[in-house]
Amino acid sequence: MPHWNPLRHALRPQRRRPPEAVIDCYQADTAFLPIRQHASLVLEFARERELPAAALLQGTGYDEHDLLLGGCSVSPASLLRLLGNLAARDRARDLSFELGQHWLPGPHGAPSLALLQAPRLADALALLVDHQATFCPLLGPRLHVAAGELVLYWTDSIGAGPQLPFLVELHMAAVTGLCRWLSGERLPWRYCFNRTPPAFAEQHEVHLGSRLQFGSHFDAMVLDAAWLDRPWPGGSTGAMALALRQAGHEPARASRSLVQALYDYLLAEIRRAPPLEQAAAAFGISPATLKRQLARHRTHFQAVLDLVRTHQSLFLMRYHGYDQTALAHYFGFHDARNFRRSFKRWTGLAADLPLAAASFAPV
Amino acid sequence: MLHLYRFPLAVLAVIIAVLLLAYLGLGEPKPAADWKWMDIAGEGGTAAMAGIWLLQVLSSRPRGRVTTLLALGLAGVMLGAWVDCLDEFFVLDKAELWDNWLESLLSPLGMLLLTIGLAFWRQEQFSLTEHLQKRERLFREHRAFDRLTQLANADYLRRQIKLERERRPDQPCALVLLDIDRFHAINREHGWAEGDRVLQAVAHLLLLNLRNDDLLCRYAGDRFAILLPETGLCVANRLAEHLRFMIGHLAHTTRDHGARLQLSARVVSAVADTRDEALLASLNAALEPASARAPAPAPAPA
Repeated sequence: MPHWNPLRHALRPQRRRPPEAVIDCYQADTAFLPIRQHASLVLEFARERELPAAALLQGTGYDEHDLLLGGCSVSPASLLRLLGNLAARDRARDLSFELGQHWLPGPHGAPSLALLQAPRLADALALLVDHQATFCPLLGPRLHVAAGELVLYWTDSIGAGPQLPFLVELHMAAVTGLCRWLSGERLPWRYCFNRTPPAFAEQHEVHLGSRLQFGSHFDAMVLDAAWLDRPWPGGSTGAMALALRQAGHEPARASRSLVQALYDYLLAEIRRAPPLEQAAAAFGISPATLKRQLARHRTHFQAVLDLVRTHQSLFLMRYHGYDQTALAHYFGFHDARNFRRSFKRWTGLAADLPLAAASFAPV
Repeated sequence: MLHLYRFPLAVLAVIIAVLLLAYLGLGEPKPAADWKWMDIAGEGGTAAMAGIWLLQVLSSRPRGRVTTLLALGLAGVMLGAWVDCLDEFFVLDKAELWDNWLESLLSPLGMLLLTIGLAFWRQEQFSLTEHLQKRERLFREHRAFDRLTQLANADYLRRQIKLERERRPDQPCALVLLDIDRFHAINREHGWAEGDRVLQAVAHLLLLNLRNDDLLCRYAGDRFAILLPETGLCVANRLAEHLRFMIGHLAHTTRDHGARLQLSARVVSAVADTRDEALLASLNAALEPASARAPAPAPAPA
């Protein structure tokens, strides 16, 4: 038996963990984002604003030299750290919005080219959702179309913690700016923010528009669904398909983060509400591993489940006219009082449903 | 900015050292029992403070007459106190007069130069204040200024509206918001740096077309706000229209290809008689182009 030296073991660089999950997803520390893409974009933006690159790269594990060489890849956690350092220098509170306007279509090669050629809003949003690991690895977009309205809502991919409001502003400004540019007009988006109102919302007003609702239950952009199929002037279905075929030749990357994958799984099974053990089995990992991995992303199983249920309740109430009894039945609760208590835990709202529905519908 | 003054600062350091050497060479050290600690602390402290003030002045000002006078004055005060302080440690022969001359001349001369310097500095401040008047009005807060256009931000604007309404509650006070059309497209088509130059050019143009008492702010992004004290709606509308006209006639050429950018802007104005937040919200909503207020698009052609 070889001699075991705990100190040497501790000092040895950690080997890459063997893939624990059989499903296709990335984690906060999966280094798969080429440094020349998001990180370069952020630093170029900072350079124009005379912000020091060295200070922004602090704690990311990379320096300007890596950036010049350009061969390596960074993890979503490093990118988040970079954005956090940028946000810490955001004196005028406008960097998230300004950077957002640079964010899409982005320097990502074939996927960016495909997005640029999108012939309609529907295609652009579908691309964004499908290629979220490329376009927005930190905050995942989700599209819900019902009753003549489209809701583009955003959920945390890797545990952004205090940076979440910055990321939400950045991504909303990115989609707003992209659509305005490609469609040639300003789309009448309405915006919901899952946060208290900022002291002053002038940056939101100028960069997004005046239809804002704070204190909502999710971070969402809402629009009349009729806009989905309006043709965009510069778009071309053929060119987009060609660029997508090219994107298919590029090295494969996971399509979404672990937290997003769990959200998707729970959404598909929401009426059954599977326990942690079943979810772990579906992911091909042990319950303990799933727990540990979720904790690394600053969340836990019950929190993701409650989030899915909250979002589903809001959609069902607003677009399908569900009342309390119907919701209880939908989620498999037999006791109305029990459901009221659970609903209050998911949403923080008393099950005063008309009020709850109103809280997410912006004017 | 301290690197501009490397040579004068070196000369000052040499003078300090020469004075120390002169006392060391020509004087007799006093026994430690005779040291007067109160005097040493007072004179040494004065020399140190004057030195710090000197560095602060030099590190914050470009070269020029006012800077020279302030620096010479502070250096004089500092050297005078330094000589006083050295005097506490050494006894000089009574026949030596130079130290008396230094002690009684350096500090008053320094004070005199400092006073003259401050008089010129006051004049300089007046002309700077005049230059900044349309940017700051009645109140100075350097943290509220935008890096790109050197204009005040929305926080500052709200504070100014409040001040204006408190100062003259019976007088109307108008507010104009101005938004550049298709600014995002300029950014995308000509680069973000060109967009920044457009903002700077528009800021300059607006400043040139305002009255002395008006205040120009960068509200956020490509939206500017103009506060017009003691102005009614009619005059405000006329001024807003004039600003819109001027922007339409601005010949801004891009840096890369020298192409002329045709600019245009939307303006709205109102009299600040409600709460400033409600007023700003309604003005911002009014600025949005018609397409952004439309409920739904016409069905797509088949």
